[in-house]
Parts: sequence; structure tokens; C-alpha cells
Amino acid sequence: MRKFLKTLPMKLYLLLLAAVLFSFFSNDFGLVDIQKTAIILAAGVDKTENGFLLTAQIAVPKGSDRTTGGTSSVEIEAEGKTVSDCVTSIYSKTGWVPKLVFCDLIVLGEETAKSDVISHLNYFLRNEYMPDSCLVAVCEGSAKELLSSTSALADASSLAIEQLFSDAAQKSGKVMPNTLKEFAIGYYGVSKSSYLPFLRMADQEGAENAASGSSSGGEGTEPQKIYTAEETAIFSEGRMVGLLSPEETLLFSMLEGKVFAGTLSAEREGEPVTLTVLKNDGSVSLKGEDAPKAVLSVSLVVRLCCRGVTAPIADVSDDSVPKEVLESAASALKEHAAALFEHAKSAGCDLFNLKRTLYRTSPKRYAKWKDLLPGAAEVALDVSVSSKK
Amino acid sequence: MNKISTRQLYFLLACIMPAGKLLLLPTRLAEAAGNDLLFPAAACYLLEAGAVFCVLLLAERNTSLYDLLRERVGKVAAGILLALLSLFLLFAALLPLMEQRLFVQSIFYDTLPSLAAFAPFFLFAAYLCAKPLFSLGRMWDLLAPVAIAGLLGILVLSVGSAKFGALLPVGAGGGRGFLKGSAAAACWFFDAPLLLPMLGHIDAKKGTAWRGALFYLAGGGAILFYLAVFYAIYAETAVNQLFAFANTSKYFAGITVLGRIDYLFIFALALVMAFYAALPLQASVGCWTQTFRAKPLPVLLSVLFSALFFALLSLLDLRFGDVMDCISGTLFWIFPAMSAGLPLLLLLLLWRPRRA
Repeated sequence: MRKFLKTLPMKLYLLLLAAVLFSFFSNDFGLVDIQKTAIILAAGVDKTENGFLLTAQIAVPKGSDRTTGGTSSVEIEAEGKTVSDCVTSIYSKTGWVPKLVFCDLIVLGEETAKSDVISHLNYFLRNEYMPDSCLVAVCEGSAKELLSSTSALADASSLAIEQLFSDAAQKSGKVMPNTLKEFAIGYYGVSKSSYLPFLRMADQEGAENAASGSSSGGEGTEPQKIYTAEETAIFSEGRMVGLLSPEETLLFSMLEGKVFAGTLSAEREGEPVTLTVLKNDGSVSLKGEDAPKAVLSVSLVVRLCCRGVTAPIADVSDDSVPKEVLESAASALKEHAAALFEHAKSAGCDLFNLKRTLYRTSPKRYAKWKDLLPGAAEVALDVSVSSKK
Repeated sequence: MNKISTRQLYFLLACIMPAGKLLLLPTRLAEAAGNDLLFPAAACYLLEAGAVFCVLLLAERNTSLYDLLRERVGKVAAGILLALLSLFLLFAALLPLMEQRLFVQSIFYDTLPSLAAFAPFFLFAAYLCAKPLFSLGRMWDLLAPVAIAGLLGILVLSVGSAKFGALLPVGAGGGRGFLKGSAAAACWFFDAPLLLPMLGHIDAKKGTAWRGALFYLAGGGAILFYLAVFYAIYAETAVNQLFAFANTSKYFAGITVLGRIDYLFIFALALVMAFYAALPLQASVGCWTQTFRAKPLPVLLSVLFSALFFALLSLLDLRFGDVMDCISGTLFWIFPAMSAGLPLLLLLLLWRPRRA
């Protein structure tokens, strides 16, 4: 008994410690009542006359066996004066507690993006349960239409769209995804500019046949859709002010130095040639003593991928790139770079964060030029395309 | 012998105390000083390291604060001074406890849990406060490697996402930003007063004072590096990032494949923080027990203070913003006065050179 009493404090201490650990780290013992919870996979925001329309794509488990397993989804719409009102409205309409912790995509309708989008995104930024690494995109038409469409490739449209922004897709240079966090940093920074990928959807060719085989197929069903995000919407002070073409998007991606194993089109004697990018370095710097001058530098190491003409086997095995092709590629890139810079400049978007660079490196010149950028900036292009050999 | 060794003291200064500065201090500093957040933090650390040095010089006399004061100013004045110190420590305890509760609720739960989820902490705190100092010393021995692993893990996972250009231009906030930042950060710096009730229980030797200050600065260096990483990740949106230390590591590329492995480090630091949050209560109990040496006093006061703070946190459940504004805005001056001014005053009053 005496021995027990002697060790009692330690036992009590361990018990208390266990209780603290349990209550701290229990996470409510993971008890999420799936019957009462709406796990939101993606949210679409459209502006209406009275405020906002929020389309929440909610995951619905399909089953556990191999044939029917996966995630299906339903779209719930709610209107309100703020995005928060819409979320509350979803709760009152359905009785499901909206859970944003798995929301990986926010889609803004095209018209919505023309007003200051941060007023729509603020709710998600402030929500501590919402991951700020969530992807944000603008779409053609309304976000409601996009999220309600039936994907030809995935169980839910949001899952198919997220595939467009995969690491592999980014490395191809064809898409420029952006996250909620990075968009907000761009918006609240001195440049007040940012970008978002622009989504388009199109009917899948031969969808009539494909639809019958799918879970949502059958007569009278909507055609299945495929999505693309090869264009990029550019923003100034939170408003969408322009749309970069696929070529400009690729160049923008190259300036960020993100392209690896992407492809690039060139010409030889009027015939198309495709090059594979093996290495990409890109940067934008600001120079000039009397007037701001942006230097856009892209350096690529490429190899021959394929020609658009019939070629002998010796030519197919040779991946060296003729000088003429390299020059043709460099010339095309210069053209796109100039167009990209002019496009952003004329739209008033400081896409390359020239103001921010100046603010961070030279406060004196920033004070002098802050009202001139990006409009008064001249551009110098430094594009080099070289072969591996 | 109710003593803590110098090793345990250094662990407390270098590993445990920095953990308390990871919750809301980064956000508050970013709000007040913007990209210059490192300067006010460094100033607070230097001031507090000086105060730690003063306290540890007194520790070399190996006598309790009450006895030192009694010798110099008499029993009554010594009792009053210790009561004031105890009240200050209770006041200083409020913010870490509220931070701790909000942190647990926000980070470890997907939905808002009831207040009861945090209640066991007060049972734990009551028990911890009643323990003699040597037991706490042994805990610091165990917690120090946990704290080092936790902070190191978070820094390693976070640093890759940091764009340190966000810290430029240096001095953008000017003197005003520096003063605002220093004032806002002041309420997180009361580490020297935490050591005062430990006087007489530290196995101090010659050189303990400057070594202690250096260890404190080493912990501060780690916090400054974390602050730089934090601002470099969030830049202008840093003001919106509450409890960022639980989030900065989630951008690590491997997380998408492996899941939130960073939670291991976050949990490790959360454990250390739980001990740190109870420290002001423990120190406050220490002030009373050296004045009145009644045996049941530590237990009674531990229970009383823990119950008091549980009630206070329940009352102020939704008033965290007001409490924060009051403590770090209106009443911020109390902290430098008590945490730097008081140790210096005590040193001037009580220090005698060590006899050969």
C-alpha cells in the first residue's frame, strides 16, 4: 500500500498527460458524420444581380466494390449577398455541414472575374479550414455551368480539371496554374497583379457513343465534356484585364523557368518541326537609368522531337537540331515574348512584378517610377535556343 | 535538494522558451512591422537576454528571491514585491493560455470543439504547478530534444517554399514600424521574470549568467530564422496567417505524396508549448510558496490558479481579439517594465560580488 501511495503522483501525472494528449490531438476522434457533412471538392463563384451564386461540388461516395467504386458528386447551388451567406444557405437548404478542408479548386465565372475577385475570394482566404494551396481558375461562361457539366474523363468535373494542373502539365508549359495563396500575395503586393488559368470546355467528340457506356449515360443526357486551360487570364487590382493566348502562356511559363520536357513548334523550309525542351531558364529583370526597361530572358536547350514530313531512318535517329530550326524557334519565341509583354502592358497588368522588383531592390527608383510601371516600360528580349549537341 | 542544474536551465532558455513564441507572435509582428519583422523581434530578444543575464547573476548568490529581498528591504516589502511579481506572472499567463487554446481548437480540429476539450490542460497545469522545481528540470531534459526536433523539422520542410526576397527592402517600415513591432511583440517576452522565482534553486556557477544569456539568444536566433521563413512564405498575406507554424511546412513538395508528415513535428512542438504555457502559473505559485512556506500551499494555489484561468478562459471565450488588443496594445508597457526593468532594478539592489 505504501509503495502504491509513493508512486501514485507519477501514475496520476501519466494519466493527466494521457488525458491532455487525447484531448489535444484527438481531432474529435476523427468523428465526422458523413451523413451530415458535405465534403466540398470544388466551389464555383458567379456574380448575380443580388450578390453571388455559389456552386459547391459535393463528393458522394459511390460504393466500395471495384465496379462501382470512386467518387461521384452533386452540385448544390446557393445564392447570397456574400460568399459566406451562400455557404450558410447550403447548410440551411441541405442540412449538410459544408466542409471546405478538401476543397482543392475554386472556379470563377468569366463575368465574375471582371469585377474585383478578391471580394469573392476573401471568404476562402479567411476560412482557417480552407487550404490556401487550393487552385483557382477562371472559366468561360459561368462557374455553375462548368462544375455542373459531366466530364468525359473523370467522375467529377473538378477532378478532371485538377488533372489539367498536374505537375506534368505544368512542366509542359501549356498551363499556368495558380493557388489562392499566390494570387492573394500578388493582389496585396505592390504590383497588385496576378494571373489565373482560363478554363474552356468543349463537347467530347463522339460523346453520343461514349455517354451510353458511362455511369451517367443514356438518352437525353448532356454531352460529356473535356476541358482545356491553355489560356491564362491576367489580373490587375483583382480584375481580369486580358487573356493570354496559348503561345503567350507557353512563353510566360518559360519566363518562369518551369518548362521541362515540353514541346515547341518551329519550321524548316516551310515544314513543321517539333522540338522537345530539355532545359529551360527564364527570368525578367528591370534595368535602365532614365526610364524603366524590362529584360525578358529565355534560354532553352532543345532536341528534335519529330518532323512533319516523311524522313529516312537515319534522320529519325538523329536528334540534333539544324541551325535553321533553332533560329526559327528563337524567332517565334521572340515574337511571342514581345506580344506577351505588350499584351500585359496595354492591359495595365504588372504580370512580371516589375514594381515589386523595383520596390525590393531600389526604393529610390521605385518612388520615381511607381506610377509609370508597367505602362512606360520598354522591353528588351534575350532569347536563346540551343541544341543539346 | 530542490535544485535544477545549469544544463536544465540552458535547455529551458534555448529550447522550451522559444516554443512559446511560435503561435501568434509572427502574425502580430508582420501586422505591426511588415517585412521588417525581424528587427523588433531581435530588439526584444536582446533586451530580454540582458534581463536573463541580470537574473542569472543574482542566481549566483544561491539564495531565494524572498530571502535576498528580506535581507535588503525587510519581510513586509519583500512579501509585497513577490506578490506584485506573482500578479504580473498571472497577467502574463493569460495570453499564452488563450493562444494555446485557440491553437488546439483551430489546428487539431476540423470543426469548432467545445471548451471542455481544453479543460484537461488545466488539470495538467495544476499538477505541474504543484511539482517541485527539480521535477520540472527533469521534464526540460526530456522536452529539449523534442523541441529541437520539432522546430528543426518544421524549418527544414518550410524553407524550400520561402522566397526571401519578400523581406526586402530592409527598413521599409522605418522607425515607426520598428517601434510598433517592438510594442506589439513585448507581451511575448517575459522570460526573465519566469526565472526570478527559481532563484536559490538554480545550481549556478561562475559564468552561468553569460552562458544563460547566450543560450537564450541561440533560441532567439532559431525564432528569428523561423520569422524570416514565415514572412518569406506568406509575404503581404502574412498578417492573415494565424498559427502559421502549423502551416508553413505544408507546402513541402513531398506532403502531397506522403500526407501531412509535418504533423509529427507540429505535435512535438505543441507538446512543448503545453509545458511552456503552464510555466507562468508555476512561477506565480513559486512566488507565494517562498514567501509563506506552508506545505499545502503549492497544491492549493495550483488548483486555485488553474481553476481561475479555466473560468477566465470560459468567460473570455469569444473575446480573444479584445484581450489581445488590450494586452499587446494598451498595456504592452507593463512587459518591458517588469521583464527588463525589474531584473535590472533587482540586480542593482541585491547584487554583491562573489567572495573569493
